[in-house]
Amino acid sequence: MPTLANAADLAHLHLLLNHFPTIGTILGLGLLLLSFIRRNEHLRKVSFEVLFLIALATLPVYVSGSAAAEALKGQAGVAQEAITAHNDAALGSFIMMEITGFFAWLALWRMRRIGRLTTGLTYTVLILAVLTVAAVTRAANMGGDIRHPEIEGGQYAGLFGTAAASSGFISAAGIKDYVLQHPYVWPTCETLHFLGMSLMFGVLMIVNLRLVGWLRGMSFASVHRLLPFGLIGFGINFITGMFFFIAASEQYTQNVAFHWKVVLLMLAGVNYLVLTVYDEAWALPASADAPMSGKLLGGSALVLSIGVMYFGRMLPFIGNAF
Amino acid sequence: MLTTLAQSSFSTWLLSSNSIWAYPTVLTLHTFGMMVLVGAALMIDLRLLGFGRAIPLQSMSRLFRVIWAAFALNAVTGTMLFIADADKRAPELIFWTKLAFVAVGLLTAARIRRMNFQGGTEPVVVSSAAKRLAVVSLVAWSAAITAGRLLAYVG
Repeated sequence: MPTLANAADLAHLHLLLNHFPTIGTILGLGLLLLSFIRRNEHLRKVSFEVLFLIALATLPVYVSGSAAAEALKGQAGVAQEAITAHNDAALGSFIMMEITGFFAWLALWRMRRIGRLTTGLTYTVLILAVLTVAAVTRAANMGGDIRHPEIEGGQYAGLFGTAAASSGFISAAGIKDYVLQHPYVWPTCETLHFLGMSLMFGVLMIVNLRLVGWLRGMSFASVHRLLPFGLIGFGINFITGMFFFIAASEQYTQNVAFHWKVVLLMLAGVNYLVLTVYDEAWALPASADAPMSGKLLGGSALVLSIGVMYFGRMLPFIGNAF
Repeated sequence: MLTTLAQSSFSTWLLSSNSIWAYPTVLTLHTFGMMVLVGAALMIDLRLLGFGRAIPLQSMSRLFRVIWAAFALNAVTGTMLFIADADKRAPELIFWTKLAFVAVGLLTAARIRRMNFQGGTEPVVVSSAAKRLAVVSLVAWSAAITAGRLLAYVG
């Protein structure tokens, strides 16, 4: 299979994508604050959608960052400590971003069900978004410190003080060591990854087979109820998947099957957001056939999720083998 | 007999062919079948346990077709994978444990169907016996997946 991107492309991709989380979260938070000033619920919904999409887009930013770190290894003018510090800060902000994205999604899901945004979830997202902006700007700032002529000597003192290997509350190296030094961690994560996949696909199957029209006799609103289980499955797979990636990133960064998996996962994520907020489908009674747009949405969700599974399973067989 | 199977030309082809259509494809189909089968079973179990109550139980009966079809796919692909490694797999306890849990899962699915999906009338409340079966099903499929995944690491 032809490659999608080589190491230099991925390093370049990281430079292109790395502004998305910072600017996107600030934009999402800005829209949210504006929605308070204008008392505009529609604007608030848009801000939650932006925060969810940015949480999604942060995955390729993080994984391309690992590829960039590999490409930079041993190059003059690059302080390894700066990369480590940036990686740890990025991982911390990435986790924050995913939690924010999850609650933004939950708020949208609840809104679809009860017709309005709940105060509790709105303020939860607001607080999380503020914390995420702080975490992600710190990570971005430390990323900017990686390539500076003045650090060629190997002494690195970033804007936020000396960056030791574990400057934050989370350390990618620590996670890597934990996974690799305990032989039970990888098989346990694999098992959970398969369980999470089955749960997620079960939900996708029932919702999308209903849209496509193969399952009948259930309203869209009734299957919409199951969507959080799909996100729980995704959460399990996101966490276990990050354990794999952090422990053995060199197996993935140059692997074309992994590149395709991430691309399809992004599209599947956008699809899931549309499923959550989709107005036309929401009104679908038990006996009615979905409109063509709903059938296309359901069909593409199934194709995309099977594609994600396919490239995941093919990771050891396509591209560079494990 | 097991050694004969493991040394058959089919086994050699499946394991050592460089073709993407050999081992990788059979293994991927097996994973796909697992995801579909367990996914469908989990949805029925969750509904019986009280999640998504607004979904009419009878409208889910088509999911049993999905379960049987996915099982057929996995019986075929699983047999192929077993033949390829027959002498290694046959003595392994974890392998037979997996098959036992798959059997429990399938029998439970059949009982759930008989209890709740025959006659076409919607039960007003899901009986506690049906809920117990749903829990058995959840446990059996989780255990089958766990044992199946451990096959790659144990032994």
